[in-house]
Amino acid sequence: MASLEEQRMMEDAPDSSVQVDTGSHWQRLATIAIMYFTVSNIKGMAKGLIYVVPALAVTFNQADGPMKDYLYVGGAALVLLMAVSGLASFLMYRFRVHNQHIEIQSGVFSRKYTNLPFWRIQNVKIDLPFYYRPFKYALLVLDTAGSAGEEARIVAVPLHYAHALRRQVLVHHKNAEIAATEPQSNHGAALPSHDVDADEVVLNRRSIGDIVIHGITNNRVWILLGVAAPFYDDAITMVSSWLAEKGLQLNQLVGEQAIAWWQFGLYALVIVMMIMAVLALISVGGALFTFYGYTLSRSDDRYIRRSGLLNKQEVSMRASRIQMIKAKQDWLDKILKRVNLYFEQNTTVGKQVQELMSPNKLIVPSVTEDEVAALTVEVMPGCKLHRHDFTAISKRFIVHWMLMVWSWPLIGLFAVGFIASEWDIVMASLVLGGVLLAMLSLQWWRWGMAYDGKYIYVRQGRIGIDYLCFEPFKVQQVIVKQSVFMKRRKLASIVFVMASGSVTVPFLPQKYVQSIADKVLFEVESTRKSWM
Amino acid sequence: MTNMNSEAKIEDFSNNVLVPEDLPTLTDIQFLSISPRYRLINVGVALGTCIIIAMILTAVRFQPFFSVPEQLTHLYPYALMGVTVLAILWAVYHVFADVKIKYGMREQDLSLQKGLVFRQQACQPILRVQHVEIKRGPIIRLAKLASLQVFSAGGEYHTFEIPGLPLERAEQLRQFILDHKDVSAK
Repeated sequence: MASLEEQRMMEDAPDSSVQVDTGSHWQRLATIAIMYFTVSNIKGMAKGLIYVVPALAVTFNQADGPMKDYLYVGGAALVLLMAVSGLASFLMYRFRVHNQHIEIQSGVFSRKYTNLPFWRIQNVKIDLPFYYRPFKYALLVLDTAGSAGEEARIVAVPLHYAHALRRQVLVHHKNAEIAATEPQSNHGAALPSHDVDADEVVLNRRSIGDIVIHGITNNRVWILLGVAAPFYDDAITMVSSWLAEKGLQLNQLVGEQAIAWWQFGLYALVIVMMIMAVLALISVGGALFTFYGYTLSRSDDRYIRRSGLLNKQEVSMRASRIQMIKAKQDWLDKILKRVNLYFEQNTTVGKQVQELMSPNKLIVPSVTEDEVAALTVEVMPGCKLHRHDFTAISKRFIVHWMLMVWSWPLIGLFAVGFIASEWDIVMASLVLGGVLLAMLSLQWWRWGMAYDGKYIYVRQGRIGIDYLCFEPFKVQQVIVKQSVFMKRRKLASIVFVMASGSVTVPFLPQKYVQSIADKVLFEVESTRKSWM
Repeated sequence: MTNMNSEAKIEDFSNNVLVPEDLPTLTDIQFLSISPRYRLINVGVALGTCIIIAMILTAVRFQPFFSVPEQLTHLYPYALMGVTVLAILWAVYHVFADVKIKYGMREQDLSLQKGLVFRQQACQPILRVQHVEIKRGPIIRLAKLASLQVFSAGGEYHTFEIPGLPLERAEQLRQFILDHKDVSAK
């Protein structure tokens, strides 16, 4: 550890002087890691105990006198226990970076040994929890291509060391690639560490205004609601007492029949409006929380996203690993002429990462339409998302879904209403049918695909529109689907299975589907390019 | 980013003009049937499950240890009937659908056709294969069959699986994939 501490002292020294290789000696983390382990232990326990919390709260409220003191003592003991376990985790944690391998030993009771060679690392994520920031420490998350459990966390290292290590990993990738074409000469720790960060170009910044728009157009409520979950009960009590102060008694309102229906309606409207406004505010808060100070930059063949208000995050992704571009525009986005742009990498199955934090999806929140064009061309040169040559899907799509799927429950509902002479149920079934028909028609109207010889484009959506673009050679598997009814009409559906998920375009002309499937397969098998 | 691999050796590179009609097409593949025993097993499993459930129902209905509520005993014949109908439908589906499962191979990819009403044809380029597994459940093993599972980065949901292959054929196919230069090169 001593050597790292020393490096931390030389904070102002140029980054390239940082020795990444720690030698064959095992290193201990910076002391701040105790904090991290404690916090994550508490988080882990809170998650496990979430269902017990109400019971505990009730006990706490009803307990009095000495009983309450015991509870305080118990709580304090619990926190102390967490801190001790944090300390234990810290003491049991060792890591070293040696010979292009990252090795980690961790765990108090069940020991775990991770050995991660540089060449297997896919993503490098630098996380700065808010309590690390004043001390310039970072949490490094190293992700591999494969299975979920295989990520390595170096819990607390000086920030500049984290950057140096990331650079080393990236340089290694780059050199490995050159080595693939040229005979390799020098290999090992003494790599010429050309400064990758030097040619970093900022491609996009999001101002606070943009992020506020993003918060309004996208439901980012859960970011803050998730954090605030333990305080719900208090909040509701507070709000209802505040309302009571203003002369609005919720209990009275529901219980009393005396007030006129329009009064009740008005109250309901006001309350709904208030809730909407509050939700929008919370959502804006959530968006600011994750996206504050957003920058997307390119450094060599990588894209780097930095953002965060309290906890800062830095995610980098190799350009070649981007499988697909998605430009998503909801109806509200459409009015405001904004688009959410996603660069999607492979998804790791069985690993539920929060969408926004995920290193597998690089999101550029609420960009303008011009910026979309610039950014997509930057990532996929020559690609044109908004085009006019989409091959539309057949109207049979509507017929199929209406007859084969929705007609059964609708007819059932209608019959029940008709037989029981409940005309409102009959009405409901008709209205529902109409809405479904309208939705399907919209979906039919949007859905289509195009192939310009280099990229495949898909347009889809109902009220909002999503544009997708991907390179055919990155396809993993092609599936052509055709029911016997479709065969009669010479129609077929095509599914492109990508590492980032599958894309389906239904009810296209059979000939078109066959030729696209053949072309895509030919593209994959003849170019033999790597999808990663 | 697309020029990542463009540094390949020039002598390996060819870029002859292709006429779309000359592309290999999926419709030309010679498809092979899977083992007929697979259908037999599925029908057997359907009927066997039906018999076991019926036996459990009957056992509960007539056991002397505790009394079953009146309403439930009334339901007993209907439950038996329901189970039988479902099992027969299930078995009939396999009788017609399992013969439609066919697989084919080309130099560069594997294909699989399946489905009775909703037909589909999946094509898995061998270049994108990450690993191959032979799966054998207890009943399948009795019939000396195996399923070949081919995994790509497309995720578990899109695992390419050829069911009901004779064991030797499954192993042969697995070897074919493993020996393929695209997979063994890594």
